[in-house]
Amino acid sequence: MAKKSVWSDNRFWQRTAAWITGFASVLLIWLTFDTSAQISMGTDADIQSGVTKRVPGPTVINYKIAYEFNKKRQHEIPVIGGMNAEGTSAFQEKEKFFGRDDWSEAEASEMLRLGKLGSQSKNCMNCHTLLGNGAYYAPDLTKAWLDPAWGPTGSMQAMTGKSTKEEAMAEFLQHPSQYPTHSRMMPNLGITAEEAKGLVAFLKHMSSIDTNGFPRNFGKIQGAVNGK
Amino acid sequence: MANSYLKSESKKLATWYFTVAATLFGAQLLFGLVAAAQYVIPGFLFEILDFSVARMLHINALVVWMVFAMFGSVYWLLPDETGIETVGINLGKLLFWIFTAAVTVVVLVYIFIQVGAADETSIWFIHEGREYIEAPRWADLGITVVALGFVANLFMTGMKGNRSGIVTVLMADMIAFAGLYLTGMFYTDNITVDQFWWWWVIHLWVEATWEVFVGAIAAYGLITMIGAHRKVVEMWLWIEVTMLFGSGILGMGHHYFWIGTPEYWWEIGALFSALEPLPLVAMFIHVLYDWGKMQGEEDAKGQEISVITNKPAFTWFVLNAFGNFLGAGIWGFFHTLPQVNLYTHGTQFTSAHGHLAFFGAYATILVGMMYIAVQGKNGIKVLNNTKSTIWATSMIVGGVVGMTVALTIAGYSDVIISRAQMGATWAGYFDAQATTWLVQGMVWRLLMGVVTFVGFIFLAKDLLTIGKSANHVR
Amino acid sequence: MNAMFEPFVDVVPSFFGTLAQGPLTLTIFLHTVIILPMFWIYKQEKARLEQEGN
Repeated sequence: MAKKSVWSDNRFWQRTAAWITGFASVLLIWLTFDTSAQISMGTDADIQSGVTKRVPGPTVINYKIAYEFNKKRQHEIPVIGGMNAEGTSAFQEKEKFFGRDDWSEAEASEMLRLGKLGSQSKNCMNCHTLLGNGAYYAPDLTKAWLDPAWGPTGSMQAMTGKSTKEEAMAEFLQHPSQYPTHSRMMPNLGITAEEAKGLVAFLKHMSSIDTNGFPRNFGKIQGAVNGK
Repeated sequence: MANSYLKSESKKLATWYFTVAATLFGAQLLFGLVAAAQYVIPGFLFEILDFSVARMLHINALVVWMVFAMFGSVYWLLPDETGIETVGINLGKLLFWIFTAAVTVVVLVYIFIQVGAADETSIWFIHEGREYIEAPRWADLGITVVALGFVANLFMTGMKGNRSGIVTVLMADMIAFAGLYLTGMFYTDNITVDQFWWWWVIHLWVEATWEVFVGAIAAYGLITMIGAHRKVVEMWLWIEVTMLFGSGILGMGHHYFWIGTPEYWWEIGALFSALEPLPLVAMFIHVLYDWGKMQGEEDAKGQEISVITNKPAFTWFVLNAFGNFLGAGIWGFFHTLPQVNLYTHGTQFTSAHGHLAFFGAYATILVGMMYIAVQGKNGIKVLNNTKSTIWATSMIVGGVVGMTVALTIAGYSDVIISRAQMGATWAGYFDAQATTWLVQGMVWRLLMGVVTFVGFIFLAKDLLTIGKSANHVR
Repeated sequence: MNAMFEPFVDVVPSFFGTLAQGPLTLTIFLHTVIILPMFWIYKQEKARLEQEGN
């Protein structure tokens, strides 16, 4: 019997290729709808009513943010406005950001927008990593807002002579080459005072995104546990 | 070279594309050297051509030269596969000039303007600041028009002429390739949504559509260079498409572990992307098996001659089989599982993978296509290696492998100290940068980068002069 | 047995989140629905080849 095997038949493989490609694409699109619903940005109302979103609304900048170990998920998660009994965000404890903790949704959105546009136009991603993506020439910015180096006892805040984290960051961003932190320095990118404020808001917002425990152990490093 | 053997306008256009591609390849290596030097000498070109600018040019030149060479490859093989002259060739030529002009303007803006204010104007006219697809929006629209024109030519030619399996695969693949670019053009305040769609372009290009493209080109190369049987080659091609798209499309999940996307991507990303090396193994076996089979048939006839009609190109195709499997397959699998990726994500280890994967999977086969074009242009029956071919090939391959090893070793301390030990903090980052392994790794990377660049000079010289050499069969 | 079925791992409930009951369920489900129709394609093509062979 010299019967031809299906396994060496071109048409069989062509149809298989078409099926698998088509079905994988459909699944991806379906998953995209599912994911898109989960990663859409939250609102101020969400925060007010204690709804945890993977990407919280811009008014999260009015709250204290921390990165704490969660027992249920067994990794660190962003905790916004203090921790509740379940170990997640309580959305209670506020924190002043550039002297205010009552930034309206419109004001906060505008600041975040300026910061996000700035992060792109200043090409942050081709030296730093954001959410772990980018270049590896400078530190990861995912949780930079919570970094002990910028905290009250950190070297970066002390160097700029500012009394708050956000002011220290904004000052550094405007005049990076005045503060030689390392032999590899950040260049002057012509960042204005307004843009710097926006960029810091963008960084604070990014630190509140639920990144499934990335970066791991960040919260264990001395000084980072309680945020500011 | 005025006296060309080429009768087909499509093939002439292909040589234009290859010429620009090779030039941009040189630019990619040059700016890569600047960036590599800045790791070793931090003050080098500080506030003149900073790392961010050099790297942007390095990776954009990479993407663009490969797209140019891919378009060139398709214009080259279309007349052979379809049996007719490419339809819409004048449109193709016009689009070539538009594309080349646009790329020139974009590069000049990158070099001389560098950064803009934090507003939409910068996004429209300077750059979008999104790794790999930094091109400003006006250029995005231009690239879309050019890509759609290219796809239109491919479709019209494929439908009018003989539509082989290779052409069918290319048609389906190139329309996806062009369409996916659209998903990376819009602006959003939400960084998670931004990166979600950004990967639709980057991942679905380099880990799906580009890989299928490579499968199709390898199939064409095996038929033209060693006379492999079309039926066998095309069956392999369909199997490769099955495996590449079957694993690669949902394998995108491995980019969705840590950017704010849901936890279920851990499972999807891990287990689909874990299968991604399989088609690369298949392609590797396929190329070497067919070569052995065809040579064996020849030997059985008592003929003592090689079946390969283009030695340099076939060398690069075989290097592609190795490099794709090693760079994309092995180096990719190293860190595709979430338990590993949690620590390796965004370190020099990623960079090691990036270098060997882009080179092994794409640069190799596209350089091979350039040699095929040189052969056709000079009307040569059997193209043999010259001394320059051998220098070029060994220095480029040695250089890239050397860079990969150096970056992998630098990656050890980046992963262990900066990520695992110090939780990706500011201090942890600089602690890792100061370790001996990272410091030495960066010096070795620079040295190997220089080796690669010298190899490129040999390559450019060889592509320009090999056609005049006397050691070919004409 | 309780450990085999978790109420939820994701932050926000969703269809795919529900399928992800522990570490393997979702991916096994997806791989299976992708592979199963290949049997059907195989049978069809086998029948066609047999017919052409006659």
